Amino acid sequence: MVTAQLLVNALALGAAYALVALGFVLVLNAAGAVNFAQGDMVMLGGVAAVTLSGLLTLAGVRLPGVVLLPLVVVVSGLVGLLVAALGFWPLRDRPPAAMFVATIALAAVFEQSAMAFFGPEPRTAPALWEGAALMIGGVAFGRQPLALILVAGLCVAGVYLLLERTQTGRRFRAVAQDRDMARALGIRAARLVVGAFALGGGLAGLAGALLGHQFFVHAGQGPAYMVKAYIAAAIGGWGSVPGALLGALLIALFETLVSAALSAVWAQALLYLTLLIILLWRPQGLFGEAIGQRA
Amino acid sequence: MKPGSTLRILLAQGPAPALAAAGAALAWLALAGDSYTIRLATLAGAQALLVLGYQLVFGHAGALSLAQGGLFGLGAYVAALLSLHVPWAMALTLPAAALAAMLVAAMVGVAVLRLQTHYFALATLAVAQLIHLAAVNLETLTGGANGLAGILPVVPRGWPMLLLVWGLFGAAGWMVARVLAGLAGPVLDLAREHPQAAQSLGIDVAALRFSAFVAGAGLAGLAGALHAQVVGVVSPDVADMPVMIGCLIATVIGGRRAVLGAALGAILLTHAPEWFRFLENRHLIAFGLLALAMVIVAPDGLAALVTDARRRLRPPVTPTSAPAPQPPTVARAAAPGTLRLESVGKSFGGVRALDGVSFEVAPAEAVGVIGPNGSGKTTLVNVVTGIIAADAGRISLGSETLRDRAAYAIARLGVSRTFQQAQLVAAAPAEDAVAAAAWRRSPRPSLPAARAEASHWLARLDAGSDAARPCGALPAGRRRLVEVARALMARPHLLVLDEPGAGLSRSERAALARHLRAVCAEGTTLLIIDHDIDFLAACTNRLICLDRGQVVADGPVEAVRRDPRVRLAWFGIDHEEGAA
Repeated sequence: MVTAQLLVNALALGAAYALVALGFVLVLNAAGAVNFAQGDMVMLGGVAAVTLSGLLTLAGVRLPGVVLLPLVVVVSGLVGLLVAALGFWPLRDRPPAAMFVATIALAAVFEQSAMAFFGPEPRTAPALWEGAALMIGGVAFGRQPLALILVAGLCVAGVYLLLERTQTGRRFRAVAQDRDMARALGIRAARLVVGAFALGGGLAGLAGALLGHQFFVHAGQGPAYMVKAYIAAAIGGWGSVPGALLGALLIALFETLVSAALSAVWAQALLYLTLLIILLWRPQGLFGEAIGQRA
Repeated sequence: MKPGSTLRILLAQGPAPALAAAGAALAWLALAGDSYTIRLATLAGAQALLVLGYQLVFGHAGALSLAQGGLFGLGAYVAALLSLHVPWAMALTLPAAALAAMLVAAMVGVAVLRLQTHYFALATLAVAQLIHLAAVNLETLTGGANGLAGILPVVPRGWPMLLLVWGLFGAAGWMVARVLAGLAGPVLDLAREHPQAAQSLGIDVAALRFSAFVAGAGLAGLAGALHAQVVGVVSPDVADMPVMIGCLIATVIGGRRAVLGAALGAILLTHAPEWFRFLENRHLIAFGLLALAMVIVAPDGLAALVTDARRRLRPPVTPTSAPAPQPPTVARAAAPGTLRLESVGKSFGGVRALDGVSFEVAPAEAVGVIGPNGSGKTTLVNVVTGIIAADAGRISLGSETLRDRAAYAIARLGVSRTFQQAQLVAAAPAEDAVAAAAWRRSPRPSLPAARAEASHWLARLDAGSDAARPCGALPAGRRRLVEVARALMARPHLLVLDEPGAGLSRSERAALARHLRAVCAEGTTLLIIDHDIDFLAACTNRLICLDRGQVVADGPVEAVRRDPRVRLAWFGIDHEEGAA
């Protein structure tokens, strides 16, 4: 029954990666450029969760994780707005590489700020659903992974409905397809792009808070999450939302299984090698590109 | 380094401000430098080499590589292993480290350089991560997380090492600056910003990018080896992400392309903890914010600010390029062949842009192509010149097959072209834009000689007064003339022009038609696309009319003009076209 536990763990990890990748792709589609700070937004979400719960405990308030989460999402959404204000807005008429470089600088600022003000040592974020493992059919399942799958699933479904079923979502997809055309049709593209940054930040922060219980929170973890989101978007087909979600799940499954079979180091090395092979064999991703000529 | 005096020296006009600044820095180090200061200055030199290499990759080739830090680490480990295991070959450590990095870059580059920016960045990031993983986990070789200690330097640490490192930077920087001051400067700019235009001049853009990537890697490997020898130990940190981020930030702050920028960015990056001690452990935050500010406000970095200030203090006297003794002619010695298209087809999705197009253009013939918008005219140009590949049919020039050949290879057969949207580097003066066409000649002319010829071509098209003006400042019509001059300077057998007359006044169009007639009389075949039948009648003898991807008429200008099918395509479908 080890496999069932492994699969739940892989699914939980994949659900968190999916949140990060979803934010990454939303910003990618809206701004037409890579947000390299996405991983450090995840880290800041974890930092926010640890800090908020610490502050509240000091004040004598003990909030359950479920109540804490919306607060973290709001804080991370504001971080997303900050990234939009510094990394996107002043560079909106420049080639995409400018935003790429600007967000690399921002990522460094986030990481160093966390290092300076939060400290380099890893800490644990509060659990979402505390308690002993649940026994289902004779197999023990941790509560946190199950809660993670549930929360992440709900959020992904919410964003999906937003994109597919609302007028805002339709406008957003129009902007992603052709920003100039959308603008000519009277859509306020800039607002939607800034909104995508806020949403992307919120999703990243949520992932950070959710993962922070199982995998610790530390200042240097941002790039690892960014790379996962980037890989998910690349193998899922650049710009495709379902592709990125599937890519995130595949990465998590790959990591969990290879770690279990060989080691965590092999899981990383083989992930990068597989990525290189995929990029060489199918530069348009496993499922085809949704948008072309972007960086 | 006293900022005041250094700045004044840099601002001074003359051939040796860089040498003077270096001399001042050395004098200051000799007077005030303790061993720690000298060590820091040496590390700054290694960093400057790393940044110089990254400028080649990112600044000049325009490839956003994230492997530069990993290649630096690779060089550091190669130097460490050689000095520990093969102590008798100390002299070879530096070249070996550079070669190792170049070898890895060559293997990676062959595979990933063709990827688009975002995939290229990710692929190089993956390579860097693999190098770092190897450094951490191949414990028997690399010592794992503890790293390797006891690395010996090729020359004693302190002054000798300092002079070696900065001497190497000086030599490498001088070489790079010399190359860029020649014809390679405008050519690299064109290849980076308008790769299709570069290919249309016979420049193999992929090969240029590859060379820049490998050369940049060599400097990274060398920098890593020097770093390891100065510090005496290596650990996986030398191959980790922060090295790459630091290199990128130093490049952005110093400047992406100027050699001076590499030195400035590297000195700032290595000395920031020292100079901004009051910020305690927060200097890196300030540094990141500074880089962000530079991206937004001064994308060309500190070096450009210094150069601008210098230029404002004392505007440089523009050397008037000596005119070539003989006005150049277009035709080349070899006899041009016939351009032959047989049932050429090209579809975009469900749209058949070209559908069974067949025609021939004889040597030294001038043929115009007309047709309403969307009739496939530009696709025809792109298929002939190899920018896009045809789906069906045969295209040949004389005995050479053009179909499925790379665009630069087609250009090397003597085919040159202009673009509907002029593809010119905005900052480059018109004469430099035209001079780039001389890149493939052998022997390759010097930049002044190429400029002199370029100004002749511009003058021949009545655009001589624009020679020194940046292309971005020219009106659209004049930009097209610059492109025509560039295409002529490539000395083509076959010249393909995509709407050369658009944006010009009626009299300018008439003059251009006259010049094109003269070019044709010198033996160059012309294939000209335009909407203006009067313009085409003035410079060609034969018209081909395209409609929905098919040739609907082909014959002498007057016959095609009267052809009912042409009148239908021209006036019956799109009224505006006839008026334009």
